[in-house]
Amino acid sequence: MNENVKTGDFGKRLKTMLKVDARRMFTMPAVYIMLAISLVLPVLILVMTSFIGGADPTTGEAAATFTSVWQAIGSAGGNAMSMDITSMCNINLLYFLVAIFVCLFVGDDFRSGYVKNLFTVRSKKLDYVLSKTIVLFAASAGMFLLYFIGAMIGGGIAGLSFDVAAVGASAGGIVACMISKVFFALVFVSIALTLATVGKQKLWLSILGSLAAGMLLFTMIPMMTPLNAGALNVILCVLGGPIFAAGLGTVSNVILSKTSLV
Amino acid sequence: MNAIEIRNLTKTFREKRAVDGLSMTVPQGAIYGFIGENGSGKSTTEKLICGLIQPSGGEIKLFGKDHRDQGVRSQIGVLIEAPGCFPNYTVWNNMKLQAANLGLKHEDEEIRRVLHLVRMDGAASNKFKNCSLGMKQRIGIAFALLGNPALLVLDEPINGLDADGMRIMREILLGLSRRGTTVLISSHILGELEKIATHYGIIRNGKMLREMTAEELNANCPTYVALKTDDMEKAQAILQRAFGRADMDKQTGEIRVYNVYAEDVAKYLFGNFGIAVSEIRTAKISLEEYYINLMQEGRK
Repeated sequence: MNENVKTGDFGKRLKTMLKVDARRMFTMPAVYIMLAISLVLPVLILVMTSFIGGADPTTGEAAATFTSVWQAIGSAGGNAMSMDITSMCNINLLYFLVAIFVCLFVGDDFRSGYVKNLFTVRSKKLDYVLSKTIVLFAASAGMFLLYFIGAMIGGGIAGLSFDVAAVGASAGGIVACMISKVFFALVFVSIALTLATVGKQKLWLSILGSLAAGMLLFTMIPMMTPLNAGALNVILCVLGGPIFAAGLGTVSNVILSKTSLV
Repeated sequence: MNAIEIRNLTKTFREKRAVDGLSMTVPQGAIYGFIGENGSGKSTTEKLICGLIQPSGGEIKLFGKDHRDQGVRSQIGVLIEAPGCFPNYTVWNNMKLQAANLGLKHEDEEIRRVLHLVRMDGAASNKFKNCSLGMKQRIGIAFALLGNPALLVLDEPINGLDADGMRIMREILLGLSRRGTTVLISSHILGELEKIATHYGIIRNGKMLREMTAEELNANCPTYVALKTDDMEKAQAILQRAFGRADMDKQTGEIRVYNVYAEDVAKYLFGNFGIAVSEIRTAKISLEEYYINLMQEGRK
């Protein structure tokens, strides 16, 4: 049966673009690898650091290690990041993984030449940017959720404390912390997406750029998403994340509209 | 209405003008053979038409509307350079993505239809990276045909195709043209192009050198008689005097006399001068020859 293409309004166009990206997401091995890493990483970190221990090489003192499972999620107080293992090896590492995944996902469109099919029939680049942001945000939310589950499993295996009060937090605070972290990922998604549209076929450029940008933002994460997060943290991230994404999405849209796609 | 109308199109990459004030008109339903040397600006023009790169100046209209119009763009099927497929996906999954991108209602039926058209029914489950060059070209054409586009833009689609593949391609394009689809096709295989094209555009250094219909090309490509005799130099001089023009073809070693009958030439040479003709045939200037002559004239 022959049928002509339905052009549609913005809603229909976004729906078809989301369908394309969702299909790609579920048929791309990198997605499953990233999700698996998100689940396994906290288990490895908690189990290995608990069993191996170690000493600080500069002072010779026993290195601070995980005593509570919640340290794998964040630290209470919202102070700037310190350089001990609990601050370095926690859920915040996922932001880098998210940035790499965004670059892989978007870069593949350009490297395979799929953009030729995509943009020949699609003059509005905004559909592409919006759809990518939504789908990649959903994937990053899945990664954070799996990391959380992995941390619970790893904590259980390592025999760490599950006492919320011991780390100066509350159950509600941890939920708020997770919500904040998930929405803060939008900042990383949009930065990596913008850099991927700049880099196009040059995947290495977008990955390096995203990691460099991530390093600059890394110290901000504990302050924005502490373990004892409150309503203000949630509001800042739930509103700030999408606003930041909208701003950088506009930039990505302009880049795609004004530059060569192939 | 014309399917493509381009006026004064320019595209500059840093200091190089890839397309330089190009104007072209492709009538609706035409098979437009877009010809030019490597680096003459064919692919750049096609990418500009498809909106994959932005023009530095000029105007592109598709079916009377600006080429950025969403309604018009959704009616284009494209194969530029290589098919845009994910190498690790199967052919079927790649096509499903494009079907979703086009918003087709009956995706599976449509994919089966286009794969059948290019005789690639059996390749659906193959990973794209495992397909041969010829298979990839056919799949690329199937991609372009998804959703029955009103305009097909094909850049070197017959490269890598075997004889059967070329025949299939010819049948498909002629069939599409009969149904009103416009085809813009660039190729260096001019012999193949000559069999299907209804219009031609010859581009050189980013400028349109000549645009013409197949009939106009036909009129510009005279028939000739090619012959060999035992005294070639003398025969050429006699024929030159008698018929106004007699060229020596260095490649074949034949004398060419234009717009005459073979029988008349043979009788004239033997009857009046006793020169026997050892070989004689009637032929027509091909598109390839016409194109090469045009390029050589341009260089001079």
